[in-house]
Amino acid sequence: MAPGALSDERDVREAYAAHAGELFGFAVRSLGDAGLAEEAVQETFLRAWRAGDRFDPEIGSLRTWLFAILRNVVIDLGRARAARPRVAEGGVEPAVEPIDEALLGWQIEEAMRRIGDQHRQVLVETYYKARPYAEVAAELGVPEGTVKSRVHYGLRALRVALEEIGYDG
Amino acid sequence: MTAERCREWRELLGAHALDRLPADERAGLEAHLEGCAECRAELDSLAGVARLMPLADPERFGAAPQPPAALGDRVLAAVESERRTGARRLRGRRRWRLGLALAGAAAAAAVLAIFVLGGGGGEGAPEREVAFHSLPPGMEIDTTLVPHSFGTEIHVYVSGVRSGTLCRVFLRDDAGRRASAGSFRYRWGEDSEAVLTSALDLSNAAAVGIRVGKRTFEAGV
Repeated sequence: MAPGALSDERDVREAYAAHAGELFGFAVRSLGDAGLAEEAVQETFLRAWRAGDRFDPEIGSLRTWLFAILRNVVIDLGRARAARPRVAEGGVEPAVEPIDEALLGWQIEEAMRRIGDQHRQVLVETYYKARPYAEVAAELGVPEGTVKSRVHYGLRALRVALEEIGYDG
Repeated sequence: MTAERCREWRELLGAHALDRLPADERAGLEAHLEGCAECRAELDSLAGVARLMPLADPERFGAAPQPPAALGDRVLAAVESERRTGARRLRGRRRWRLGLALAGAAAAAAVLAIFVLGGGGGEGAPEREVAFHSLPPGMEIDTTLVPHSFGTEIHVYVSGVRSGTLCRVFLRDDAGRRASAGSFRYRWGEDSEAVLTSALDLSNAAAVGIRVGKRTFEAGV
């Protein structure tokens, strides 16, 4: 049995404690249903346990492996298309599978939860709500230049957070 | 270019990457970028993130949904239940044999006839378990080959593919010729073992193969 394999229940318990939250978050995001997401997470850990001896930590982390299995489970459930993430007005429609689009969307959302409130706030107001800098600056009581620099440092923080959760683009 | 001046331009790069910079500032920044490799590199590193932003839903930036506490217990119970039933991949096989035992009288009689009329051939030789390696993550294929006088009985256990996927099974002989063993559809959530037969004698089989959807996997016997 390879080191790090999910060979006994203690391994499963530890893997669950470390990764179930994120896996569940992505499952809900891509399936759009908490009940189905629970099923998907359970099936993911069962498959991981059944194939535990095939996990090779030399190739990738346990987290990456579990996400790869969950991705297959979600495809099996055949529901990825039902929860296609919406694309903002004027946004690009990337040439990727809906499931991978959902994974990228989820990664951005997870990264957004990890950056500071001030950074997230200016990105939401100026980018997602497309409000003018002057309006947002007046509302926050700061100079317009400060809003722009917060957008800049917010985007940098977002990039760092994305790298932390495995994005390598 | 002083460092201070560069910083002023640099702090506009985020807005520029998101295409949210007023035209006059954009013109000035683009002129600066012409002569500043550092700012160009910084813009590149932000552009990848900016391109992904439309995929996110801002209504999901709040607290992430958490799995119910009971889910962890259910996962462990499911693992425990599989562990208790012994070698997990054999679970389906046992169930199939039980199914055979309970099968209708006609089917049972037909099987009996084959065994009685059987005689020589591969009958009596040991069955072979053949596992498939180098599969995509989460996918699993195991087969058991049982020699008979009429050919080879093939038990196929598949998991980790889309429900409803057509799977075609074959044996390959030493000369590379395929002998079909038929097909089945994989159904997710059910015991996914199928039982097929090929006319090829197990002693002449070099490999067992399965075409799952559009991908073909083979394992040496």
